[in-house]
Amino acid sequence: MDFDAIAIGGGHAGIEAGLALARLGFKTLFITQNLDCIAKLSCNPAIGGLAKGNVVREIDALGGQMARLIDSTMIQFRILNRSKGPAVQAPRAQADKAAYALLAKQTLEQQKNLSLFQDTVVDLICDGKMKKIKGVVTERGNRITAGVVVLTTGTFMEARIFIGDYMTSSGRLGEPAAVGLGESLRKIGFEVGRLKTGTPARVLKSSLDFSRLEEQKGDEIQLPFSFSNHRIERPHVPCYITYTTEATHKIIRDNIKYSPLYGGKIVGIGPRYCPSIEDKVMRFPDRGRHQIFVEPEGLNTEEMYLNGISSSLPEQVQERFLRTVPGLERVVIMKPGYAVEYDYINPTQLYPNLESKLLQGLFIAGQTNGTSGYEEAAAQGLLAGINAALKLQKKKPLILSRAESYIGVLIDDLVTLGTKEPYRLFTSRAEYRLCLRHDTADMRLFSKGYAIGLQNNEANERFEAKVEKLNAINELLHKRKVDTHDISAEPLLSKYKGKTFARILKDPAFTMSVLKKLDGALNDFSAALSTQIELDIKYAGYLKRQQEQVARFKRLEKLIIPSEFNYDSAKGLSKESREKLKTIRPLSVGQASRISGVRNSDIAVLLVYLTKKSGA
Amino acid sequence: MFARGLCREKSIKIAKFKSAVIAYESFFLYLLIMVKESAFDLHDPIVALATPWGESAIAVIRTSGEDCIKKIAGVFKGTDNLSNKKSHTVNYGTLYNPKDGELVDEVLAAVYHSPHSYTGEDAVELFCHGSPAALQKTLKLLYEQGFRQADAGEFTLRAFLNGKIDLTKAEAVNEIIRAKSDKARRLALHRLAGSIEKTINSFKTRLVDMLSALEVMIDYPDEQYEHNEFPPQEFKKLLAEVHALLATYKAGRIYQEGVGVALAGRTNSGKSTLFNLMLKEDRSIVSDVHGTTRDFIEGSIAIKGIPVRLYDTAGLRSTDHPVEAEGIRRTDKIITNADIIIYLIDGSLGVCGEDEKFINQYKSGGRLLVVWNKCDLSGKKVPKAFIPISSLTGQGLQNMEKAIVFLLLGSSPLESDGPVIDSLRQKQSLEQALAALKRVETGYKNRVSYDLLAVDIKEALDAFGHITGQVTSEEILRAMFSKFCVGK
Ligand SMILES: Cc1cc2nc3c(=O)[nH]c(=O)nc-3n(C[C@H](O)[C@H](O)[C@H](O)COP(=O)(O)OP(=O)(O)OC[C@H]3O[C@@H](n4cnc5c(N)ncnc54)[C@H](O)[C@@H]3O)c2cc1C
Ligand SMILES: Nc1nc2c(ncn2[C@@H]2O[C@H](COP(=O)(O)OP(=O)(O)OP(=O)(O)O)[C@@H](O)[C@H]2O)c(=O)[nH]1
Ligand SMILES: [Mg+2]
Repeated sequence: MDFDAIAIGGGHAGIEAGLALARLGFKTLFITQNLDCIAKLSCNPAIGGLAKGNVVREIDALGGQMARLIDSTMIQFRILNRSKGPAVQAPRAQADKAAYALLAKQTLEQQKNLSLFQDTVVDLICDGKMKKIKGVVTERGNRITAGVVVLTTGTFMEARIFIGDYMTSSGRLGEPAAVGLGESLRKIGFEVGRLKTGTPARVLKSSLDFSRLEEQKGDEIQLPFSFSNHRIERPHVPCYITYTTEATHKIIRDNIKYSPLYGGKIVGIGPRYCPSIEDKVMRFPDRGRHQIFVEPEGLNTEEMYLNGISSSLPEQVQERFLRTVPGLERVVIMKPGYAVEYDYINPTQLYPNLESKLLQGLFIAGQTNGTSGYEEAAAQGLLAGINAALKLQKKKPLILSRAESYIGVLIDDLVTLGTKEPYRLFTSRAEYRLCLRHDTADMRLFSKGYAIGLQNNEANERFEAKVEKLNAINELLHKRKVDTHDISAEPLLSKYKGKTFARILKDPAFTMSVLKKLDGALNDFSAALSTQIELDIKYAGYLKRQQEQVARFKRLEKLIIPSEFNYDSAKGLSKESREKLKTIRPLSVGQASRISGVRNSDIAVLLVYLTKKSGA
Repeated sequence: MFARGLCREKSIKIAKFKSAVIAYESFFLYLLIMVKESAFDLHDPIVALATPWGESAIAVIRTSGEDCIKKIAGVFKGTDNLSNKKSHTVNYGTLYNPKDGELVDEVLAAVYHSPHSYTGEDAVELFCHGSPAALQKTLKLLYEQGFRQADAGEFTLRAFLNGKIDLTKAEAVNEIIRAKSDKARRLALHRLAGSIEKTINSFKTRLVDMLSALEVMIDYPDEQYEHNEFPPQEFKKLLAEVHALLATYKAGRIYQEGVGVALAGRTNSGKSTLFNLMLKEDRSIVSDVHGTTRDFIEGSIAIKGIPVRLYDTAGLRSTDHPVEAEGIRRTDKIITNADIIIYLIDGSLGVCGEDEKFINQYKSGGRLLVVWNKCDLSGKKVPKAFIPISSLTGQGLQNMEKAIVFLLLGSSPLESDGPVIDSLRQKQSLEQALAALKRVETGYKNRVSYDLLAVDIKEALDAFGHITGQVTSEEILRAMFSKFCVGK
């Protein structure tokens, strides 16, 4: 065998997979179409956001790379949703795209056990019975063998891009598609579908009239995504806001027939949550204007990204409608907006460890599984890499639960429900989001990363020290009582005389900052730590209720369905459900209960067979 | 399984409706919910009538579950403590109410020890007198001891889980339940079963809409929203409707288990005449001698489908006669326990001091109905607060019955053919939903953040989901994107 493992694809999924495998000691080949196009941010120049920011921190807790990359290359940082509640706050950073990609490439190059190689995979090598993967075949005729393969083709597999009438075989503007592999996968028996997504134009900074744009600054303090970083000192670059006008909408409406989507050229399904400006105008005719964020693509470039206005109309039309937007009257387009259509693999063909059901040893991650978004891709890449490694080690797979991580929600949704449109995480996809705050990602997942071997002893000591500190704050708050001294300093506290500091925090009127003024000992701890405890105490009632919900949820998750379970022998299942259960092959009754179209009564029939088996 | 239909028209309708709803998804669904919900574990003591409702020589009440024998032993007087009896023994004794020592019924209790029973659990079968009145009392006594009404198929379910019967047999039982609901459908009762589903689903849809408004503001923080998208008025309305549906539980139970109605009044006011009229039977002795009725007499009737235990009692007056005094003491007790008291005023005499005293004592309890009897005789003008009737001619009887139903059910939700819940499980789920919704209401008032409001909204959705199926996050997202224009 040439390698222990092969990671195909140089996107966010591929780099996490490759790094994880190599770090766990496996001789790994990282193969991608173009080594100068690694870890590109194909669309918006930002990492994080709602749910996604949490995912980045979860990736970090498990020992992945994404958080460290953005920490070193951010050019603006914000905590979103400060006013909307503790559980739904999330970090987001604008990235310097070029710096981000460069740092990723350097990281890969320096990684022990990892070989970088430029070529395009066009076929897979399987064993005689077509049950197991053996390696890959490349465009230039290389046959490379390995025990496991992680496939992350992103938007490149059999991809085509569209700008008005223009159409070409390409996965990202200027980069050729990966042709051949989609056909091979279909032949092996994979169900392969088409999805589409789009991106807005990039424009020249000096062509914008900033006096007509509203400035949006980031937070004063930049906070690290990675739990291993303590502070960030990076440049602060602002973004800008402007709006479309009725004139913009009219031009779009008048030219809608030239849209490849409305003209019927694109068959792939696009995301509802990320509509192109064409979609917005056509679907919501009553909206007088749509918001546009103008974001820098980096420190050393004049390119600006126009968030909110992705389009695949002809370039001349794009230019005309952009010029109706205040501040963009003389805009110069550097790269036009475009749509991309590509092959994806319906992820119900994977087990929850992201291994394909069809071919043992083949793991699939990222946009190939129908997701969109860098963070979603990276999370899957990491988990696929980890699980491929665990398979080589003949260990039990790492499957994260919906109740402990957004990554768990993401992967469970994919392999259980599949997807027919590009899948993106939302906080509302998580049933128990109070338990999934971004600041608790390490509490939830670090020990798993450590057990697997992606976190070293030094990190573990740091983690344990943090836990100790958290306990200390918690204890202090529960012991320290309000005395006369405190009341003279803060008269509003008089009604809490003799009560603990923890009790005061439950009152929405008081925050930790008040208490910090009263007791110096609280200032010994960082803001991040004391805020974490503050939130835990403040929302204890809600947290408790959510934890009860989690306990109920876990009951069904704990009922494991043996892999050899014969659904045909389970009389009483409806025909439709039987077929679905046979395709998905859920690992637990809980997972089975989430398959769409499987009814309660079918789940109960299943339960009946399982409880019988266990001799209840 | 357990034919619990009452033999009156409306009651049958309700009972069928119940089995249609519960059997709808069969006992398998029940199993699922039990696994998920700690509220219903697999071992708690349950009770159900195993023979049909109505007059019969013997009725069988079946019980099963943890501490079941001990619990019944606590209300059973026999030659020996029931707890010490061997399995498969039949024991003669009486059931009594430990609160006041009152005799409830004479029974034979068959004791089965786990695992040697139908369900595999400790179980007791009670062979009782087959009169609805006695059965209602016995069931009430058992509920008070902590037994829960069993759901359709639950005995069989437990038998299956405890390995007492195999799946084919369990399936056969399931088939029967299914078939029953099919028949119910043929009988056009499906409409009833459907209406509760429709109501709950409407709650869910509206709640999902409100939730999606919060969710979109959470997941798209940078979008601009014209106003706060959460609609407090609509929410209030929803809360009221959930409340109203929950209130029908009482009605459902009333139709299932019936009520006690006591006829009271001074001697010679016409109680026994009214009793016979309502019973359509010459049961109680009528005479113009004051103090004719000495001991209470009971009978079973149905009023607009509600099973009623009707009591004729000794007329109230001060007396030195020891037998009459004892009769009056018993009357007092029946009055205390009755769900409804019909107080008769002798219209030919008008209201006297004793009447006023009685009325004043009971008028605030919400269970007193004052009727002006002998309205055929009296030339007196009937005071507005009283219902004029004649026990002799039957005049006014309809009005009185309406008033009874009104007193029991308020504006009678059953008359309007709206949905009714009568299963304990539905009630508990609705209570859970209501509690969560109330937390949303206070939370909203106190301006708690969206993510916390969402916790309680989702909890309410989950609770509704226990009745008609879970709301998935996909449904919430669909609502979000169909209403709001957001995204890159
Ligand atoms: C036009 C466009 C619009 C987008 N819009 C959005 C959006 O609206 N929202 C959003 O969240 N995300 C969007 N993205 C998606 C975002 O870029 C991806 O989700 C993310 O980068 C996916 O990461 P990945 O690792 O799965 O794949 P990619 O980043 O696409 O990387 C795939 C890599 O694999 C390589 N590769 C592919 N096939 C082969 C092969 N056979 N052999 C060797 N190498 C191969 C490619 O060269 C590439 O380097 C968009 C991307 C594009 C191109
Ligand atoms: N005209 C007329 N007579 C009635 C009516 N109701 C009862 N009576 C007569 O009133 C007398 C007393 O009736 P009962 O029914 O025995 O009265 P009661 O309240 O049961 O009396 P006690 O058992 O003695 O307390 C009888 O002669 C009845 O015929 C009525 O509505 N109209
Ligand atoms: Mg009488």
